[in-house]
Amino acid sequence: MRIETIQGSRCPACGLTVAPPAPFCPRDPVAMTSVELEGAGEIVSFTTLHSPPAGFRSPLHLALVALPGGARFICHGAETRGLRIGSRVAIEAVNDVYYFSHLGALDRARLFWRRTGRAGDRVHAIARSLAKRAWKGRERVSS
Amino acid sequence: MREVWIAGAGITRIGRRGESLSDLMAEAAHAALRDAGLERPDAIVAAAMNPEEFVGDGNFASHVATHMGLAETPAMRIETATSSGAAALYAGFAQVAAGLRHRVLVVGGEKMTHLDTPRVSELIGRSIDPYERSYGATMPALAGLVARALIARNGDAPREMAQIAVKNHANALRNPYAHFHRSVTIDEVMDSRMVADPLRLLHCCPISDGAAAVVLTAERAAVRITGIGQGTDTLALRHRDALTSFRASRAAARAAFAMADFGPERVDVAELHDAFAPFELISLEDLGLVPSGKAGRATLDGETALDGRLPVNPSGGLKARGHPLAATGLAQIVECVWQLTGRAEGRQVPARVALAQSIGGLATNNWVTLLEAS
Ligand SMILES: [Zn+2]
Repeated sequence: MRIETIQGSRCPACGLTVAPPAPFCPRDPVAMTSVELEGAGEIVSFTTLHSPPAGFRSPLHLALVALPGGARFICHGAETRGLRIGSRVAIEAVNDVYYFSHLGALDRARLFWRRTGRAGDRVHAIARSLAKRAWKGRERVSS
Repeated sequence: MREVWIAGAGITRIGRRGESLSDLMAEAAHAALRDAGLERPDAIVAAAMNPEEFVGDGNFASHVATHMGLAETPAMRIETATSSGAAALYAGFAQVAAGLRHRVLVVGGEKMTHLDTPRVSELIGRSIDPYERSYGATMPALAGLVARALIARNGDAPREMAQIAVKNHANALRNPYAHFHRSVTIDEVMDSRMVADPLRLLHCCPISDGAAAVVLTAERAAVRITGIGQGTDTLALRHRDALTSFRASRAAARAAFAMADFGPERVDVAELHDAFAPFELISLEDLGLVPSGKAGRATLDGETALDGRLPVNPSGGLKARGHPLAATGLAQIVECVWQLTGRAEGRQVPARVALAQSIGGLATNNWVTLLEAS
């Protein structure tokens, strides 16, 4: 799984981080500085539009996602089944349009190992087996 | 600062209207002038959110002033998206309070029903942040995000949201100027077509035509404007921390109550911006009319019904009186004036202090006005 890098900006005055980048902070008349954000985060809210504007497929899934570092990001998704506020999602760019996808336990474990900076097959294998157990446990609980 | 009084109020029937926008605005303006016993004001402040695209007219202050026979009266237009009517009231208030003008006509209107729903949605959507719009975000979509966050905070929110629609439709039955004259039940609301999950059709205000107007004066009249406050927030929803409270409403309320020098406990009746049912719940708390987290309970308990402790949207609100954009902020004021002067026939509540709250865009430019009977 590849984690997308999302370009953003941060306000030197209040710390607000926004994505995509903006020249000025919306809350302070100061120039923002560029930051790179990891394209994975938590669902803040989501909706499904049943009569989207012209040029969009119906139904249109939209989510507001909190990225690490505090920026909130709006993106599309293929579906919202099983999605909850607080769900972990990955964000992927397809032709410069951003989509979220629900992270399974396996993906979450991979993300965790990637963050700790310990790559390699052995670690990956451990992650996989841990994640499998976690995933199975989750399935039982949720079904 | 001089005291500013409301000497006259007028409104058209809200709904699907065959007349032009300028005809509707003239109808409301002439009614307000008649009510004030005034032939000519010193100045006009006009509000229309987007007459350029809705009806194809520009230079709109002169357009509407000329149409109503007041071409020689200085006129200007004010715009803050869906709260433009309230913003126009502020501009008129400021002129009278400053002593620049003595009698100001404030009139707002919108004509929308001649366009199909996707086109109306597109035009209203122009007030949304361009990046969010590029992802297909419409007003109902953003309100859907807000509604889901509200439900996550409080599991009973779906019933509470539905009850807002039930209450406001019931009130509109008693308002001859309202768009809808039909009651709805909680089940009908909760079974209505999904628009922007979890927001359903009957949680949303209709597309309406109409106009409303008031005459402001420095001379003592039946109702005084005791406070007006404006509050703002970021254009983009993603630049905000909170979805279930609007900074723009809180700031507007703070400013209005500070000017009036009293608190929300003195408010007897309120007209709130329920463009989407969850907004009435959020606004009740943002304005301090009910304690934080209690709006839903207060609504289900009937506290905000016509015969409750604090009647909210006796006119039917945006939900059922209708929402002709720039007319709305002034339609709320007209209802408050009628409530304060015993002229709200069929839906009169006992009131000395009234509050009107108008939301511009997705709560980017909001207004709170406080009115008191003399
Ligand atoms: Zn800042």
